[in-house]
Amino acid sequence: MNGALWVAHLLVGIPVLASVLTLALRRTPALAALVATGAGLVSVVVSFVGMAVAPTRGVNLLQLREPLRVGSIEMPFELGSGPSTVAVAAVVAVVAAAVLVFTRWYLADDDRLAQFAATVLLFTAAMMLVVHARDLVLTLVGWEVMGWCSYLLIGHWSRKESARRAAHKAFLVTRVADIAFVLGIVILAAGAGSTGLDAVVAHWSEGGVEPWVRSLALAFVVIGVLGKSAQFPFQDWLPDAMEGPTPASALIHAATMVAAGTVVLAQLFEVLVVADGARWLLGLATAVTMVGAAVLALGQSDLKRLLAWSTVSQVAIMLSALATTTKELGPDPALFHLWSHAVFKSLLFLTIGWLSVVAGSTLAVALRGSANVHQLARVAWLFGLLALAGAPFVVGGLSKEHVITTAYEGAIGAGGPGVIVLAALLVTVVLTAAYATRAHLVVAAALPDGESLDDEARMPSAPVIVALAVLTVVTVVGGLVLLTGLFDIHGVSPWWMLLTVVLILIGGGTVWSARSRTTDGDPRDAFVRTPRQRALADGGLGFDTAYRRVVVTPVLGLARVVAFLDREVVDGYVRGAAASAGIAGWLTERGHRREAASGGVALVALGLLVAAGTAVLAWR
Amino acid sequence: MLLVPGAVGLWLVTGGRALAPSTARLVALVAASVGGAAAVAATVMRPVVDRAWIPDLGVRWHFEVDGVSAPLVVLTAVIGVLVVAHAFVEQPWADAPGSGSAATYLGALLLVVAGALAAFSARDAVLFFLAFEVVLVPMWVLISRYGDRHGAAARADASARFILYTAVGSTLMLVGILLLVTRAGTADLGELPSAAAGLGLGEQTTIALLLTLGLAVKVPVFPLHTWLPAAHTTAPTAGSVLLAAVLLKLGTYGLVRLPIANVPDGFARIAPVLAIAGVVGILWGGLICLVERDLKRLIAFSSVAHMGFVVLALASGTETGLQAALIGNIAHGVISALLFVIVGGLKHRWGSVDLAVVRPALREVSPRLGFALILGLAAGLGLPGLAGFWGEFLALLAAWNPAHHTGILRTCAVIAAVGAALAAAYSLRVARVVWVGDAVPDDVAGDPDAAPSTPDARSVELAVMGVLGTAVVAIGVAPFLVLSVTADAVTALVGGGR
Repeated sequence: MNGALWVAHLLVGIPVLASVLTLALRRTPALAALVATGAGLVSVVVSFVGMAVAPTRGVNLLQLREPLRVGSIEMPFELGSGPSTVAVAAVVAVVAAAVLVFTRWYLADDDRLAQFAATVLLFTAAMMLVVHARDLVLTLVGWEVMGWCSYLLIGHWSRKESARRAAHKAFLVTRVADIAFVLGIVILAAGAGSTGLDAVVAHWSEGGVEPWVRSLALAFVVIGVLGKSAQFPFQDWLPDAMEGPTPASALIHAATMVAAGTVVLAQLFEVLVVADGARWLLGLATAVTMVGAAVLALGQSDLKRLLAWSTVSQVAIMLSALATTTKELGPDPALFHLWSHAVFKSLLFLTIGWLSVVAGSTLAVALRGSANVHQLARVAWLFGLLALAGAPFVVGGLSKEHVITTAYEGAIGAGGPGVIVLAALLVTVVLTAAYATRAHLVVAAALPDGESLDDEARMPSAPVIVALAVLTVVTVVGGLVLLTGLFDIHGVSPWWMLLTVVLILIGGGTVWSARSRTTDGDPRDAFVRTPRQRALADGGLGFDTAYRRVVVTPVLGLARVVAFLDREVVDGYVRGAAASAGIAGWLTERGHRREAASGGVALVALGLLVAAGTAVLAWR
Repeated sequence: MLLVPGAVGLWLVTGGRALAPSTARLVALVAASVGGAAAVAATVMRPVVDRAWIPDLGVRWHFEVDGVSAPLVVLTAVIGVLVVAHAFVEQPWADAPGSGSAATYLGALLLVVAGALAAFSARDAVLFFLAFEVVLVPMWVLISRYGDRHGAAARADASARFILYTAVGSTLMLVGILLLVTRAGTADLGELPSAAAGLGLGEQTTIALLLTLGLAVKVPVFPLHTWLPAAHTTAPTAGSVLLAAVLLKLGTYGLVRLPIANVPDGFARIAPVLAIAGVVGILWGGLICLVERDLKRLIAFSSVAHMGFVVLALASGTETGLQAALIGNIAHGVISALLFVIVGGLKHRWGSVDLAVVRPALREVSPRLGFALILGLAAGLGLPGLAGFWGEFLALLAAWNPAHHTGILRTCAVIAAVGAALAAAYSLRVARVVWVGDAVPDDVAGDPDAAPSTPDARSVELAVMGVLGTAVVAIGVAPFLVLSVTADAVTALVGGGR
């Protein structure tokens, strides 16, 4: 077993063990959180070692145990590693460690700190499992465990009704989409006779299989991905998930849950690229999502929800790269955007977590000018937003550039949904620049005269400052990861860069100029004018109501009907049989009064009737 | 004889009804432990007991443990010890004065366990039937005499329903067994498959139909399930656990042993109907769980849904399907036992488990009980890494590539996948009502005495939940523990039938 595989093994194993240990130490929360953070940092070190010993693709499989044969299906249970795998694993480890460091400060007074830290570690382990899995069953295990952990994390403050509801909704929406995901995996595995990724890819990417079956299976997987990644029409759970503590949001949004779909589809890339139906589905859904979510982000009154919608939009961008890319370009542009998004989005979330402690709320009105609390807050927020908007040379800009180039190549070269996606991407660039500018203008606004935020109690601990500083630096220079060659990425054309800069300036400039037209300095008011529009934007265009009307109400109605049928019809036969036996017994008793045999006859009649009743039941 | 400790212990206890509860408990615990240890030893060493019993009929006193029955024997042995231990926590004889003595209660528990162990290790069709029947009467005693202390009528109704339903099922099964045995000329389960292979398709179908119908009552398969919620709701906690973890398993085990092993061609003809019934059961149970108010009934309906997956897997007729059914069986036994221990404990504390009543959130007032509950619910909704996942996933895989009737079974697989999402919906519903929330509900906030107290689980109850919880995690993380034990036997079973 070579070094890279040891790393894969450790990256999954360390968080699991640490999670159990942390839970065991729950009576001493401070110690538990320390252990958790330590495990997070060790994972970071291990993941860096992993980058150093990164293998080339394809020769790197690790058997977790002897392959399991269940009937005709083989389950190899392999972990694997590869260049882009180690890069993604490293960013997951870094983000998780930063989140754990932040949690120690942010939830220091929480009575369930240890449970929270343990769940974060389990969540990380599950993501690591998805990243390293070379077996669809392992992928599914990681996938679902992440869903469950997100339920626990979002609902962490379970004394709050809104948090309970958000957690419930998040799990159910993603679980409904997972119906398709599970079926997709079942079809893929059943066809290949193995759940091993290599066998599945080999079987389904060759010419012998029916194209429509392949497209169907992949479309099912894509639907599951759309659910987990909060894409249209499943997008509405993610903004509600903001009810969770901010470190949880940072973890879910940056490096794990919502990004997992990109990893899975990248693993299945060679099948996806020949499954046109699935690519169209993915392309259309992401095109709609990226534009719609960007518009909603601009209209939010709560900046944390603004970040949530921006995640939806950004994840749509990475998935769109998978929908449009060609066989030659490969899945790495999407993975690179995942990488950079993880860095800058965790930075933004942790910063807003700090600012919300300063301001006491995440509403835009309350956060106004809060970045003045510390120079680092101002810088972190600015660079995070620059990366989000896709400014050249910061990490987000580079990766977005590659996605746009990919879409262009796909549009001219490979058919598929490339043209639509490209158009949506360009519109999204403008909108993203617009809402990023808004977020900056609000938070970095000058404080009114005489107000000051100098308050020692609101300053985070030194480790948190270090973590934020590290993330800021990586956001600025993270593009250098391309020099390591871990991502297999082609160059971008300067003309496209020029075009995006122009688009960014248009978006940012519009918002900048709109500021002067508003009374309180929040440029949003120039775009979302009436209270009704505001309510619509904050409510995510009413999708919550739609979910309830279209799914929840009919299902509950059906459930009531079924419960009624069960009580009155299915059970009715049984009660009927019992009653008729009773009557028959009574009749026989009258007919045979004072005759010794009557009891026996009644018993026989009863037996016959019950048998008849059951037969009727069974044949119904 | 391996089962003697269990049997002797229980006969002692039923004979000595006047025994003081504490003595009886001790005796029963020792008997259950010895029996359990012997059963575990039997699965490891695999001894064979084979004596002529009724030579005229060719019926033999033949016990042997093989791969298919080994996990079930271990499960029964462990559950047997746990339910007897649980008598230290909940004392139905004390709760309902005049119902019966402690010794009778414990004796009934032991009898059920001994009967189930005998049924699982019987290698003779007639012997299997007898052992199967031995279980019914003590179970009836448990439900009717030690059940819910609030409603005598409900107890009578539930126990009568239980006995009628299962007796009718048994009658059908007996006819099936007799038909099979007389036609094939042997009652030995080892020789039956080859002996029965010569039967015509019509005969095979008739036999398969009779056997399947009879066993389907016990599983239970929709629409023969209505005895289950009633029985679960009224039975004492230990009774519910036995019902879920042992009795229902007899049904599926019987399906594997009798129709599938002996008359595979006949079974294949009725398999689509069985698959559809299973899938309807999944949806039916899942939907009812969304609106059911009584938590115990809810868990019972979720059992119907879970057994639907097992039935679907069996109906696929492949090796994968059989494996899925066997591990699904074990997983359901462990998970539902855990849930019934918790819910039974809650009912004991609160007096009822009506979900419409607002109570303090378990997560706040009794975290250990809450943790066990959420673990059970997570396993129930099929979370990977816990026991329930493997049975469900493999069942779907098997149904997608069945041995016959591909179209129908694939449709069933899709519907079953939808049913799995229903499981998530009702599990979270329970979690939201019982697990999370405020320590003191709003409407009783002013009057602390009005809130029912929920002391956390301690000592024996905690240990029982701990063992079951560990099993749930262990099977989930290492499914091969079960799968590799059953693999060879399953291959032989499917291969022998072909």
